[in-house]
Amino acid sequence: MNKKIFLVPAVLFFLLIGIFFYLLLIDRDPSELPSMLINKEAPQFKAKSLFDEKIIISNTEFGEEIVLINFFATWCSPCREEHQFIKKLSNEPGIKLIGINYKDKNKIAKKWLNEMGNPYSKVGVDKNGSIAIDWGLYGIPETYVVDKNGIVQYKYIGPITKKTYKKFYSQIKSLNNEKN
Amino acid sequence: MINIVGNTSLYLALLLSALQTFCFFKTEKKFIKRYKFFVSGLLIFSSIAFFSLMYGYFVSDFTILNVFKNSHSSKPLIYKIAATWGNHEGSMLLWILVLTIFNFLIFKLHNKQNLKYVYKALQIQGFIIFGFMLFTILTSNPFQNVESFQSEGWGFNPILQDPALAIHPPFLYIGYVGFSAAFSLAMATLISQAKIADVPWHQYIKTFVMIAWTFLTIGIALGSIWAYYELGWGGWWFWDPVENASFMPWLLGTALIHSLMIVDKTKSLQIWVLLLSILTFLLSVVGTFLVRSGILTSVHTFALDPSRGIYILTFMAILGGYSFILFFQKSKYFFSEKYFSFLSKEGSILFNNFLMVVVCATVFLGTIYPLIIETILDNKISVGEPYFNKTIIPITIPAILLMGVAPIFAWKKDNLKRIIKISSPKIIVTIILTLSFLYFYKFINFIGIIGIFLAFWIISNNLLNLILKTKGCSKETILAHFGVGLLILGITSSSVWQEESVARMNVKDQVTIKNYTIVFNEINEIKGQNYVAIQGNFLVSSKKNKITNLKPEKRLYPVTNIITTEAAIHTNLVRDLYIVLGNGNSNDGWVVRFYINPLVIWIWIGVVFMFVGGILSIKKSLNKKIIIG
Repeated sequence: MNKKIFLVPAVLFFLLIGIFFYLLLIDRDPSELPSMLINKEAPQFKAKSLFDEKIIISNTEFGEEIVLINFFATWCSPCREEHQFIKKLSNEPGIKLIGINYKDKNKIAKKWLNEMGNPYSKVGVDKNGSIAIDWGLYGIPETYVVDKNGIVQYKYIGPITKKTYKKFYSQIKSLNNEKN
Repeated sequence: MINIVGNTSLYLALLLSALQTFCFFKTEKKFIKRYKFFVSGLLIFSSIAFFSLMYGYFVSDFTILNVFKNSHSSKPLIYKIAATWGNHEGSMLLWILVLTIFNFLIFKLHNKQNLKYVYKALQIQGFIIFGFMLFTILTSNPFQNVESFQSEGWGFNPILQDPALAIHPPFLYIGYVGFSAAFSLAMATLISQAKIADVPWHQYIKTFVMIAWTFLTIGIALGSIWAYYELGWGGWWFWDPVENASFMPWLLGTALIHSLMIVDKTKSLQIWVLLLSILTFLLSVVGTFLVRSGILTSVHTFALDPSRGIYILTFMAILGGYSFILFFQKSKYFFSEKYFSFLSKEGSILFNNFLMVVVCATVFLGTIYPLIIETILDNKISVGEPYFNKTIIPITIPAILLMGVAPIFAWKKDNLKRIIKISSPKIIVTIILTLSFLYFYKFINFIGIIGIFLAFWIISNNLLNLILKTKGCSKETILAHFGVGLLILGITSSSVWQEESVARMNVKDQVTIKNYTIVFNEINEIKGQNYVAIQGNFLVSSKKNKITNLKPEKRLYPVTNIITTEAAIHTNLVRDLYIVLGNGNSNDGWVVRFYINPLVIWIWIGVVFMFVGGILSIKKSLNKKIIIG
């Protein structure tokens, strides 16, 4: 038997240790998950409007200003917590907010927005989650930033919080400045 | 005051562990005298440190930073005690305490013949204790003082305030840390090139591995019970990195127990057993690293502190590097040229060992794959349940098939005809049981049928072996294997045939799921010792017969300002009814989720059988007087 085979565990072990060391020493945030879509054109989508079934929301929304696509649902409690920051974003100039209501009941979603305030310029319905699949949704809430050229620039997983709002907003702002 | 006692004991224990690692002796008498002092001293001082912290929690001494950050005077007593190990620093003290208990037990192995061997093992164990002790003192000292006076603490994460979780870590740690003893003994075997004829090292290792395996089994099960009713997701296993971290040593530990049987009988496979002993403990340390370094996100991660990660990693590199190099140098002394047929007990055990290692490697790959991809491609991905289900189920099918029949195989070489003859009644019983099950439940699903068949295959083999008193099957093996059969039954039924329904309900609304009608009777505010809650009251009935009232809660713990869900579960031997109260208000109604989990209780009944089998095995090992007192 070739005795070198007994070196295999040692080699694999040190490779692994090397990877762990590398990851510990670089500056990283394990909860940041970039999307495959980043720097790519936003995927084609078509959604019926929550408030008027005849209106179709699609990629024609992109092009004039920065668009935020925010996936939300009434049954998701982090979405409720995030809502105040979405509202705050809606007051900022140069940003258009589009909500995608994910796997929800229309009636309940409308009521929810009436009560909590509707920050979105348009709300599309994704009843069976197919838009979410095209966008590569990881979990809700999730927010995508699409620039004036229809390119996805950032993806943010999880609720936008008091802590992350500032960073998130400055990213959008810098995007606005660049493009101007 | 109590900080000083705790802190001093920690430093004294550190000193003793260093002495234990580097001390020499000349005569047997001196060895016993010195090492008795070291191992008892370590046990005493680590106990003092651990119980000092517990006392701090007991009296709510908020001058200790650790108590201040993790406790509150209004907390129930049992959770004050459990809080001792419910945080990173305190849990390290428990880890060290268990290490020193095993250290003491290794010392107890000594006799005239094996003195040098036990000495080597104690040196290695001493080094492991030294490493974790230094880690605790340098990066995670639980006895730091609070700078200014505090009259009240921050409270304890309410999701951890649960009886199953209170006892989950001690069991789990006996498991993880028990493998350290197997590691130290395997290393001592390599260093001293011990021959089984002189030192029965495989029996020593077996006793410790049995202890570790038995407690790890129950520890993992307690964690899954907690996840089942506390997280409110209707499931009990989520392939979370930290769950995987405990599952991997369990898999290798299982392989190790079985291959030790071969060493015991035929003296072959010694190299394999030594390698497995090393790998199993190193995987336990990798688990610790993954939980405590913040390198992965998981529901279990303690605290994100890279300096801790660097320390554990360095320690792991030294420990692993040394053991693998030693293994490379010394393994040639343990090489055996004995061969056996595939169709024999050895053959079947080795094949199943191989499959266990493949499952372990698959879980390992799934767990660290996102990290590898991030390193090479700078891309972040996540690996979830579909990967694990798709890869692990097909590998375990042949393993379980073989597990049913392997205990009756003869050593060295068996005869296929004989096996078929003995197994044919079992095959018939399995088919009858499977068909009756499917007829009764009317569940048809490909994976489900395979799972049920495998479960009954194991169950009927072990039942018949017990009834017919088949040669070669010990009572312990039958109990533990029978438990695995029940476990598979529970896992298959509850995961393949789970029914789920979500509804928005107002009081007096009703929903129907399968044969059950659930009426939302009322919703009330209630007050617990350290929380306030909204409690739903649901009347569950079937064909107009009342079954039970289920009262799921949504709790708010004002001290930590955390909201938790408490699922309400009605359990019987055939199914669990599981209700979770979600968000809502009295105008719009409440989001309520219902699950019917068929046969889920059998998962934990199965584990109890495995645990009892393990305990009886430990008793048997101890009766051989391996550890002398």
